[in-house]
Amino acid sequence: MPSAPVIAAVGCTKIASEHRDCNIRDLLADALLDLLADAGLDGLDAVEHGLASYESDHFNMQMTLGAILHDTIGMTPKPGVRIEGGGATGALALRTAWAHIQSGLCDSILVYGVEKNGRGLSSRTANQLFALSADVDWETAIGGTYTGFYAAMMRAHMAQYGTREEHFAHVAARNRRNAAFNPIAQKPMNISIEDVLRSRPVAEPYKLLDCSLLSDGAACILLASEAWAREHVPAFESRPPVFFTGTGCGTDTMRLGDRYPHITNFRAKQTAAQAAYAMAGIGDPLREIDVAELYDSYSGVEIQAVEDLGWVQRGEGGTAVAGGTFDLDGALPVNTSGGLLGRGAPVGATGILQAIEVAQQLWGLVDERRQVADAVRGLTDTHAGIASISVVNIFERRD
Amino acid sequence: MSDKVSSLIDITERDWSADDFWENFRQIERITLELSQRYHYSLGKQSRFFIELANRRFFATACAGCGQVYAPPRPLCPACLQPSEWRELTGEGSLETWSTLHFSPGTNADVAALQRPYVLAYVLLDGADTLFPHLLRAEGLCLRRGLRVRVAYNDGPVSHPIHLMCFVPA
Ligand SMILES: [Zn+2]
Repeated sequence: MPSAPVIAAVGCTKIASEHRDCNIRDLLADALLDLLADAGLDGLDAVEHGLASYESDHFNMQMTLGAILHDTIGMTPKPGVRIEGGGATGALALRTAWAHIQSGLCDSILVYGVEKNGRGLSSRTANQLFALSADVDWETAIGGTYTGFYAAMMRAHMAQYGTREEHFAHVAARNRRNAAFNPIAQKPMNISIEDVLRSRPVAEPYKLLDCSLLSDGAACILLASEAWAREHVPAFESRPPVFFTGTGCGTDTMRLGDRYPHITNFRAKQTAAQAAYAMAGIGDPLREIDVAELYDSYSGVEIQAVEDLGWVQRGEGGTAVAGGTFDLDGALPVNTSGGLLGRGAPVGATGILQAIEVAQQLWGLVDERRQVADAVRGLTDTHAGIASISVVNIFERRD
Repeated sequence: MSDKVSSLIDITERDWSADDFWENFRQIERITLELSQRYHYSLGKQSRFFIELANRRFFATACAGCGQVYAPPRPLCPACLQPSEWRELTGEGSLETWSTLHFSPGTNADVAALQRPYVLAYVLLDGADTLFPHLLRAEGLCLRRGLRVRVAYNDGPVSHPIHLMCFVPA
């Protein structure tokens, strides 16, 4: 297999509850302009392939949006493809781009993710649409919501392992604090664990401040072979190359109940992580990974993730998280960007934003208050639904 | 699809930098669009489950190959890729996990009419190997894992046949 692709350049918009002056095409244009500035390029002439990453046709009342986005940024007549995988869309898009490069189909591919989930629809309508991504016959029809499914999982985790509300409130407070050091973050907040515990219940045991945000935003990554990046991207030589060294994907049943008795954790994430570690040559992830962006759609999901990624024993995620292991000054800082809770979550862009945060951490280019010193390896963890699809991607700086 | 309301968004108050890239595009208009669909929706090979709810009977499927009993039913056993058989259950079981929901997505008329908060419950039905998700009506009761519950039926009318049943304490 050829050597791993590199992240040649990155770009994104600020993440916001609403970009009132932008439709979805405008958002992508702004992210692309940011990428061109990052790359030191004045155009995309040399880029061979496009890959559109967005989740919802419903939010935009537009099908074949991928073709419109491709057209908007002048990628015609080059080849393009659209990838969708629920919440995992952006990470699945990068994984697909990885395969495009590794197969030799092309040497450069622009992955562009965008979503307008913010206030284009009322939150009630937005929740109805998100509920359509559950099993419509059995889960949506009874009034189930994703907050409810996640909450039922967390209750099982609490019953099985003694995980406490304070443990996941730590995640809710810490990730929003981290967001204060990220200029693109949607909702930095300086809140305490008590503030989280006192916020109004949404789907018990989850409360308002345990829940992530609806967002508008866009993000792009130019993925390329190392040789292509050296030849075509002026900024490439100015920073240490970051390689996309591992990618893993796992799946699980759509409905939580069909996983019985395994309802406390995400099997798909365990599968994805093991595959990604094997590809990236990682044997002891907690020691070998320096920084990570975890999928914190709800605060407790980060606790389940640190277990499923094999960083702590099953059932010990709550105490490890609450003990500060994953804080900015901990052994393995996670969600330095603020995560979905603080930075925001424009779905099709989320996995790409995670990879951008990791790349910029490895380049040493983020705000020093959230910069992890001398980070060499970084990981992103993203999933769809209650991890019916899970994707783990690994990046490594090689000086 | 119709545009009903049109509004101009005032973004001139923004703190524009001297070299605003988009200076020729500061006027933004927002309109309201509506789109609604009516689906003639087949419940397919799951249909007998819903038909029997009207007869106050609860059916799962059992796989002759591996013995797994699925509730909700699966016409095709995903482990064996063989057609399942219908199997009637008593409708009694025990509560495994749950969440109390304070917001309703208003998915259909029955969900919109629910008194909040309501309980989304995962129940291990006697004789089944999977958890069945549904509403648990147990007002005032302190819920606990292992609580015995049973299916309660009603005669409708309902917006979706899944609402011909819910769970109640046994
Ligand atoms: Zn079978």
